[in-house]
Amino acid sequence: MSTATEILTRMHSRRGWIGVGVLALIGLVLLPLLNTALPPTSPLHLADHVVTLLGKFCCFAITAVALDLIWGFCGILSLGHGVFFALGGYAMGMYLMRAMQGMGVYRSQLPDFMVFLDWKELPWFWLGFDNFFFALAMVVVVPGLLAYAFGYFAFRSRIKGVYFSIITQALTYALMLLFFRNDTGLGGNNGLTDFKHIYGYSLALPSTKLALFVLSVLTLILTYLACRYIVTAKVGRVLRAVRDAESRLMFCGYDSKQYKLFVWVFSAVLCGIAGALYVPQVGIINPSELQPSNSIEMAIWTAVGGRGTLLGAALGALVVNGAKSFFTGALPELWLYILGAMFILTTLFMPQGIVGAIQIAMANRKAKLATPTPTVPAAPTEAA
Amino acid sequence: MTSVSAATSSPLPASEPLDETPPIGEKRAPSVDPVARPSQRPKKKRTGALDMKRLETLIEGRKASLCVDAVSVSFDGFRAINDLTLILDAGELRCLIGPNGAGKTTLMDIITGKTAPDEGSVYLVGHGRDLIGLSEYEISRLGICRKFQRPTVFHGHSVWENLELAIAGNRGVWHALFGKLSGDQKTRIEEALETIKLTDVRNRTAGELAHGQKQWLEIGMLLVQNPRVLLVDEPVAGMTHAETDRTAELLNSLAGERTVVVVEHDMEFVRKIAKKVTVLHQGSVLAEGTLDEVQAHPRVIEVYLGAPTPHA
Repeated sequence: MSTATEILTRMHSRRGWIGVGVLALIGLVLLPLLNTALPPTSPLHLADHVVTLLGKFCCFAITAVALDLIWGFCGILSLGHGVFFALGGYAMGMYLMRAMQGMGVYRSQLPDFMVFLDWKELPWFWLGFDNFFFALAMVVVVPGLLAYAFGYFAFRSRIKGVYFSIITQALTYALMLLFFRNDTGLGGNNGLTDFKHIYGYSLALPSTKLALFVLSVLTLILTYLACRYIVTAKVGRVLRAVRDAESRLMFCGYDSKQYKLFVWVFSAVLCGIAGALYVPQVGIINPSELQPSNSIEMAIWTAVGGRGTLLGAALGALVVNGAKSFFTGALPELWLYILGAMFILTTLFMPQGIVGAIQIAMANRKAKLATPTPTVPAAPTEAA
Repeated sequence: MTSVSAATSSPLPASEPLDETPPIGEKRAPSVDPVARPSQRPKKKRTGALDMKRLETLIEGRKASLCVDAVSVSFDGFRAINDLTLILDAGELRCLIGPNGAGKTTLMDIITGKTAPDEGSVYLVGHGRDLIGLSEYEISRLGICRKFQRPTVFHGHSVWENLELAIAGNRGVWHALFGKLSGDQKTRIEEALETIKLTDVRNRTAGELAHGQKQWLEIGMLLVQNPRVLLVDEPVAGMTHAETDRTAELLNSLAGERTVVVVEHDMEFVRKIAKKVTVLHQGSVLAEGTLDEVQAHPRVIEVYLGAPTPHA
């Protein structure tokens, strides 16, 4: 077992840790202070709706980091991570529905949509969701189990590359159709909404919103650190070897499917957690989260920010979603074109994404300073 | 075994001695034909269990380490390996030669679990089951390691990391998450770096190495895997003379403790290292013996030069 200091120095240089610390301070202290300590009239005041918006972005950033872990480091492109995000979201949504017994439109003990469908009792899979901690466990267990089952068969059959991506698209599409049905018992088309409380706190209160935001930031930081730990440990080197030369790795005695399964399930669980944080902040979860295009958008966040950099993936999620919020307000009919253009331009001019491009530029400058002769652009290092 | 044996196209069983006089030092069970054609044997269900009797017959009187037993495989009707039997002795250095398409690489694919044969078995002496049906990583963990035709190293990893990935030890996910190299493993990596002369470039990315260095790195990766059987496919392709000499030296030093099988086209190199050569042709063993013996063999000459020879 490595000592703690060894692990810390392995994960980041001193400067890297300072960077992480500064970002954490901004997210956990500065932004909440701007929201609470300043009067609403101050130009620096952070409005409540902006807090919620940023919280939402953090959930997306968690997803992007999780996606980057498998795509950037292990070469598995999932175009179905929306599934795990939505499952985590539904698990949380089910709890939120149970937390408002008797407060719905029909004042029934059952969720409104069940009354509407004239159901008399709760379906078996809703049992237990009255309990907050059971729901939290399901946020992890349900996406994890589905990912395990799916990954087990896919990796055992040695399905790779674009075939794997297509199957993940099919998975999210199939689940979307399933969740659209009223008979599935999860609210059908409308999904789960109209939430009132979480763990006894009213979701309408600004303080609850702020708490959810802080929780999202904290989860994002922990997600980043966990992924950073993985990619700098030996397991990260094995994963990169899976990406670069899987058959060589198997001839070295590694059961590559175990590694893929591990990182795949881990990534799915992170997405589930992101989904669970997302739902109370936006107040709704419905099958549109399972649209194939949603999952593709997640891949775009990662690609724009920079694959294989973790930090880039988080940044990409913030940049793309920031642009989305702005443009869907300013030029709603143009947003999809802008998204497409962002993706194409990144692919053409910054194949390593924003962070990757910065790393290459820095490496080039360093090389130029070291030797006067022009050098070949160095491969991006994974330091962030 | 130093006899020159033949021939696939003849109706004789494949390794019936061609010449009447058995060579000195060769013991062969006279009554048993170890390489009876599959058609003459009852078809064995693949259970993975080790047929001890058969193995004993095969390796009778020898210190064998790996037995390839009557293996056949077809790709789209093309018989790449045709009822091939090959017995490798412990600690020997064997060269496999043969024209293109003779099945040399396919044979390595079968031994290492990349390709599943239609028929036949592969036995590692001392291991209690047929290797066929095991996956690549399981076979590798048994100590059968392979170097590929083109140097296949992990290009994005440093030289040190390449060796770290290859080194024998716990290869599970949990260990990779929380484990650490032992002092002994570190020493072994250092030693391997010395042997392959890459100590100075240990932190360089493997992709930046020269071709010959990559070849050596891959050999180094085999070394730290601590194998019992080394399968080496064209180790000196693209190497300079000096590098070739060093590789010959290295391979020779490896044999003795380990069984080394070298596939090579470069006859000069084969002459340098080989005590015993097996010639493959159309998926079967055509001849086996010292290099001089096989070079004098009429069928070998025919296959390599296309010269018509009177049939024996």
